[in-house]
Amino acid sequence: MADILHIQPGQALKRRTRLSTTLILFGVLAVMVAVFSALSRDFYSFQNISTMLTNISFSGIVAGTLTLVMITGGLDISIGGNIALTSCLVAYLFNLAHPVPAWALIPIALALGAAIGAFNGFFITRLDLNPIITTLGTMAVTRGLGYVLTKARSILIMEDVTGFIGRTVIPGIQIPIPLVLFAVIFAILFFVLSRSKFGRKVYCIGANQAAARVSGINVRRVKFVLYLMSGIAASLSGLILTGQTAVGMPQHARGMELDVITAVLLGGTALAGGKGSILGTLAGVLILGVLYNGFTMIGFRYVHISVFQGVLLIMIVALYELRDRKKN
Amino acid sequence: MEQPLLEMRNISKQFPGVQALKDVSIDLRAGEVLGLVGENGAGKSTLIKILAGDYRADTGEIFINGRKVDFRSPSDAAAMGIQFIYQELITLDTLTVAENLLVGHLPTRKMIGMVDWKAANENARQVLETMNIDLDPRTIVGDLTVHQKQVLEIAKAIHKKATILVMDEPTAALGEEDTQSLFAIIRNLKEQGVGVIHISHRLKEVFDITDRVTVLRDGQKIDTVQTSQATMTQLISMMVGRELAEFYPKRDLPIGDTLLEVGDLTINGIIDRVSFSLRSGEIVGLFGLLGSGRMNVLRALYGLDGYDAGRVAVKGTPTIINGPRGALGNGIGYMPIDRKLEGLALGLPVSSNITMANIDNIGRGFALNRRLEREKAQKWVNDVSIRTPDIATDANSLSGGNQQKIVLAKLLETGSKIFLMNEPTRGIDVGAKVDIYHMMENLCEAGAGIVMISSELPEMLSMADRIIVIAKGKVTAEFNRAEATQEKLLHATTL
Repeated sequence: MADILHIQPGQALKRRTRLSTTLILFGVLAVMVAVFSALSRDFYSFQNISTMLTNISFSGIVAGTLTLVMITGGLDISIGGNIALTSCLVAYLFNLAHPVPAWALIPIALALGAAIGAFNGFFITRLDLNPIITTLGTMAVTRGLGYVLTKARSILIMEDVTGFIGRTVIPGIQIPIPLVLFAVIFAILFFVLSRSKFGRKVYCIGANQAAARVSGINVRRVKFVLYLMSGIAASLSGLILTGQTAVGMPQHARGMELDVITAVLLGGTALAGGKGSILGTLAGVLILGVLYNGFTMIGFRYVHISVFQGVLLIMIVALYELRDRKKN
Repeated sequence: MEQPLLEMRNISKQFPGVQALKDVSIDLRAGEVLGLVGENGAGKSTLIKILAGDYRADTGEIFINGRKVDFRSPSDAAAMGIQFIYQELITLDTLTVAENLLVGHLPTRKMIGMVDWKAANENARQVLETMNIDLDPRTIVGDLTVHQKQVLEIAKAIHKKATILVMDEPTAALGEEDTQSLFAIIRNLKEQGVGVIHISHRLKEVFDITDRVTVLRDGQKIDTVQTSQATMTQLISMMVGRELAEFYPKRDLPIGDTLLEVGDLTINGIIDRVSFSLRSGEIVGLFGLLGSGRMNVLRALYGLDGYDAGRVAVKGTPTIINGPRGALGNGIGYMPIDRKLEGLALGLPVSSNITMANIDNIGRGFALNRRLEREKAQKWVNDVSIRTPDIATDANSLSGGNQQKIVLAKLLETGSKIFLMNEPTRGIDVGAKVDIYHMMENLCEAGAGIVMISSELPEMLSMADRIIVIAKGKVTAEFNRAEATQEKLLHATTL
């Protein structure tokens, strides 16, 4: 009955290769750290590593939730605008004649992110609009509102209000709070994606949305929750950035969509959905973070890195595409 | 006898494990309509695909006007004046009638190569007029009805100088009036000397429009007869012709209480006051032609499509089916007609596919109990005899029969009592079919009930305890197992 059983010869091998994609990425990371350490004495300093990890945390948090969105076959490019608007709103509220108390700023910021995420989720799941176009619109709206709110100026935050989330380290062990948040969020997302019913639904929707619906999975609700999560994660990143820079400005986090999408794709998430993992994305954000930081340390300018980043993004997608084509 | 327009001589074609065609010969004369009939799998489509150049025959020859031809691709067939109208129309919906008609050779202004729209619309108008077709060249094709699109396709074929027109189930999606108007156009083509091959499941139409009929069964030609000298009964017995083998493991099981009661289910314009009931231990077959509405009944009962009116009662309790979740909550499970489209998450492992419709019950609370999932998946792989290296294997790498068994396992895992199965053995090999029949019988023995759609007559007659015939959205007949025959069923579809 050979025709009944189409087993590919490398069946057992295949799973090993998938695992090793993530392993290879971590290997690449280790090599990069070694190379940059050799090239630049400053790279391997405590100060630089700490700065680098804080920067990674800032974009890593959004990359984590975006991974889930992208596994369903969706996309959220409104995250940069969301971050900018969050920083503007926080700075604005704090600089009013009767400033909003500092303790209230965090829930207000997160509520803003949730509202933006719900807005995206509504149009994408209820009206079935294309996620790229919908979040592209939201990106323009949020960044535009940032300009309106600040009258296109930067609003400084003189007192250290949000600084405690952006800069402060946990006393004693010198670990930046953003890094702690990043680690906790990734641990939760890892559990959600690979050990929870919700995570399984995310994969099912990405693999075949119609089959997921027939199987009684509430496709709309799952996707709505993901866009909501993405919005909240972006506003959390916005809080961190506001804390680090002590300024609210509408130009914050420009082009950040590109960083985050590159990291998620590098981590092995398929643009078409159905495939991806949190560990892969972790490797992706670490590699990109080390790369940018390392390049800066050995003297490249932002403009050079931007060219490199664009080339890298296309190369990653091409590599995965070629690999998948070979498999079929 | 005059030279035939087309002759296919001694065509044989073997696919892995199946002899699709064996020594089949047909001929078509100018100005004639030849009907090609047979059950699903009889070899009609294979024969047509060989003529179109999609497949190459293993042995056999094709002659056009007495000249031997060798088609290696569909464009070869087109170059010899053969055009095909398939069930699924391939019109360019965002363009106009004129653009569709003249695609590839739109008139251009000499100097700059731009399309001369005035001339294009005028050309198209003339083409349509000579064929007595009432269409405005400037209409956007997406706005046309199915019938109008079909007429447009025919016009396009004729405009490309087709002398042989092959139509595969052209009336499947048409109502009575449009069918008659299509036939008027075909008769017009006959007068112009075009030869038409007409494939249809609707025998009544075969008598309306064809001059001769060729009957295929199990890849062989049974006979070609003059339509005027044949009877409906004669054609049906030629199509069916075989004894139903032991192949179907149907058992006599006790029939219990009513599980599902459907009253006056209506979807405006599609199904009209469909009523039936399903009892435990019973398989009820819904039989009908393509487009009869039988699938809409099943989809509505599972909440995939809404319905406009009607009552549904599950175990005597009136219920409103509110989406697939609601249906599953009421103990109703559904097996989709196309496993790749709506059944499987290809790219995910066998285990994830099996638990997919019951994921909320795999473990307590938020967490997924992965050990429980593995146990359940392994149990179903054994019980339904899914042939797979292990439960972690990608569902995509298994054969159609094993994929279908995964869909069945998924359905069983939901613990449903009422199963709606849309073509449960479509496109799978015989061994897997028998396994699925056994599972269906086991379900009935355990007190479940099954509503089944099948377009394979033998399967319907052998597995269903009762058969409800649906034609044009209405129930036209109901037969119990003892009284149902192929002839009666086919006849009821013409009512």
